[in-house]
Amino acid sequence: MSSALFVPLAHALFCLGVYGILTRRHAIGILLSIELILNAAVLNFALFSRLFSHVAAQIFALFIIALAACEAVVGLAIVLSLARTAKTVFADGATLLKG
Amino acid sequence: MGYEAAVQQLLTPTTIPLPQLVWIPAYPLVTFLVLILWGRRLGRFSGWLAGLALACSCGVVLTLANAVFAGYRIVTQWTWLSATNPRWTFGLSVDGLSWVMLVVVTAVGMMITIYSIGYMRDDPRFSRFFAYLSLFCASMLGLVMADHFVLLYMCWELVGLCSYLLISFWFEKPAAAAAGRKAFLTTRIGDTGLFLGILLLAWTAGELRFAYLSLIRHQLQPALLTAASLLIFLGAAGKSAQVPLHVWLPDAMEGPTPVSALIHAATMVAAGVYLVARTLFLFTPESLQVVLAIGLITHLFAGTVALTMTDIKRVLAYSTLSQLGLMMTVLGLGAASLAMFHLATHACFKALLFLAAGSVIHATHQQELAHLGGLRRVMPWTAFLFLIAALSMSGCFPLSGFWSKDAMLLEAWHSRPWLFWTLLVGAMMTAAYIFRLYLRCFEGAAGQTAGRGAHGGHTPASAASGGAGRHESPLVMMLPMSVLALGAVGAGLAGSPWLHQPFFRLLGVTDVHEGIDVFILTSSTAAAAMGIWLAWTVGLKRRVLLPAGLRPLGHRLYELAAHKYYVDEIYERFLINPFLAATRGLAQFDLRVIDGAVNGAGSASVLLSRWKERFDRAVVDRLVNGLASTIRQAGSLLRWIQTGVIQQYLLVIVVAVVVLASVVRR
Repeated sequence: MSSALFVPLAHALFCLGVYGILTRRHAIGILLSIELILNAAVLNFALFSRLFSHVAAQIFALFIIALAACEAVVGLAIVLSLARTAKTVFADGATLLKG
Repeated sequence: MGYEAAVQQLLTPTTIPLPQLVWIPAYPLVTFLVLILWGRRLGRFSGWLAGLALACSCGVVLTLANAVFAGYRIVTQWTWLSATNPRWTFGLSVDGLSWVMLVVVTAVGMMITIYSIGYMRDDPRFSRFFAYLSLFCASMLGLVMADHFVLLYMCWELVGLCSYLLISFWFEKPAAAAAGRKAFLTTRIGDTGLFLGILLLAWTAGELRFAYLSLIRHQLQPALLTAASLLIFLGAAGKSAQVPLHVWLPDAMEGPTPVSALIHAATMVAAGVYLVARTLFLFTPESLQVVLAIGLITHLFAGTVALTMTDIKRVLAYSTLSQLGLMMTVLGLGAASLAMFHLATHACFKALLFLAAGSVIHATHQQELAHLGGLRRVMPWTAFLFLIAALSMSGCFPLSGFWSKDAMLLEAWHSRPWLFWTLLVGAMMTAAYIFRLYLRCFEGAAGQTAGRGAHGGHTPASAASGGAGRHESPLVMMLPMSVLALGAVGAGLAGSPWLHQPFFRLLGVTDVHEGIDVFILTSSTAAAAMGIWLAWTVGLKRRVLLPAGLRPLGHRLYELAAHKYYVDEIYERFLINPFLAATRGLAQFDLRVIDGAVNGAGSASVLLSRWKERFDRAVVDRLVNGLASTIRQAGSLLRWIQTGVIQQYLLVIVVAVVVLASVVRR
């Protein structure tokens, strides 16, 4: 019952996150979209832990939450330094990698 | 016989080791170094220093007299090359033969050095002269004492060098410079022969010490010995100016007169005689024939030329040639002791003749006989000494020359009577030319003084003071001449039967002719008297003795001799000119063919490289540039993919992941 409901939910979250990353111009928006992808992963871990009675997967879920916090810190720091150097917070405005 | 055994035999009980032998050449050598480095500061003293050094050497030599007369050989040895097997040990050794030469070189050298102090008084290179003279004496002493062929050869070349330096001492004169060059090149031919002979001996005998060679000579092939000894004789002929190689000695008279006396009369030119005497054990009967023939030809040839020369020093030069030829003739008979005896007496009277001639030249600045004459009234002492030397040279009883010449005539009489008569003619010629010189120079009317100073045998500085007129030479020149005159009178007594011939016993000759042979005595005296009479009538009074029919022939012969048998002209025509023509031809070949080839190769390679440059620019450069621009264009095509917008990259990644995932899944 729950798998039939939560697996599509996780997929939807993941696809929303990917879509947000690809379409959001604002860097903060991209960071939020990444959170969505991570949460989709956490949802999957929790779901399959329950399904197969495998506790280790829940530990991974906790890890990913910690990782998400770290990622948010680092990501925000990158956004700040981007705003200082490139004078913008829009992803398509910072084309430092242009060949 | 093994090598070691032979070496053991060398150390016979008659050998005395004495390291002090080194001092004999060392005194003049050190003097040379001092004079060449500080001679200018020493000034006038340098001449006395050189004389003192020779006096010291002479003293050392004389202290050896007792041991040498007792038959001992005095040696000192040192190792020169220890890397070779057998080791090369050089050494100095003094036996009777070399002791005689040592006495001659040091005593005559000392006298001539002192004489030079007066003769070279005004020369700007005064000390340089004595430096060369000392070097010459050192190397001559080394030559005489060498017990090894290589050491002898070194000294041999050194005396040649000194001879060259001293002949062209007044190198401002083109004639002197040319004479030095001629002497050097001519003796070089002989020296090359000597060198080849030494190489031949080294190759076959394997050891070059004289004492060793004399021990093993019987083991060598006779043909090889003949070849080696003839090559050695070639060297001796070059140094002693024997006939084919004699041309340098008359020209060498361009040097200062003391040099002519010391090097080109008394010592260095006698080195050839000494060399043959030293290595006589190597000479086979065949090569002795050659020595005899060459010596005899030189004796007669130079004697006739000396009769016609009109330059004092040239007469003396040809007489030296003639006397050296006489020594070689006697060596050809195998009688080394007689040759050495004549060498010693000749050194005394010939040095005296040269010094007296130098005294004349010093006083008058003339050396042409036409401008001289009647000098006995102006310089009686010089005339007297010259007369003594001339008498001695003519072989008048009982002067030195008599004893040595008579001993040689006696030897010739006992071996080959025809040779005796030939040598008697030679003796007559000797008396004739030397008295012609004496009479024309010191007797008769005074010569014309026209053209005075035109023939330079004098220093530029003394030419400036030439107006001083004719005068007797200073004491510093007369004293050595007087000492040499004592030698010219008395040196022959050493080989005379009166004193039981100590000279020949010294050289190890046992079967000496005792007593005076009256036949030889009378014939040689008659020959000398005949020569002197000829000189008086033909040379001085200019009477014509030939019958009318023979006069054209006589005139032609005189012309032939006066032109020195055209030897110089023949060499010029048949050796020097073809050689020069060949060198000119080779130079043309060089200029045309080789230079042309080199230049052609150069311009061809320039042309080729120009074409290569074009090819480089057209093909290689274009290829490289084309490749580069192609890559650049490809790069700029790719550039627009790289937008720098991260989201586009991510899109690519997502699409790729999706595609890959779907592929993997299937």
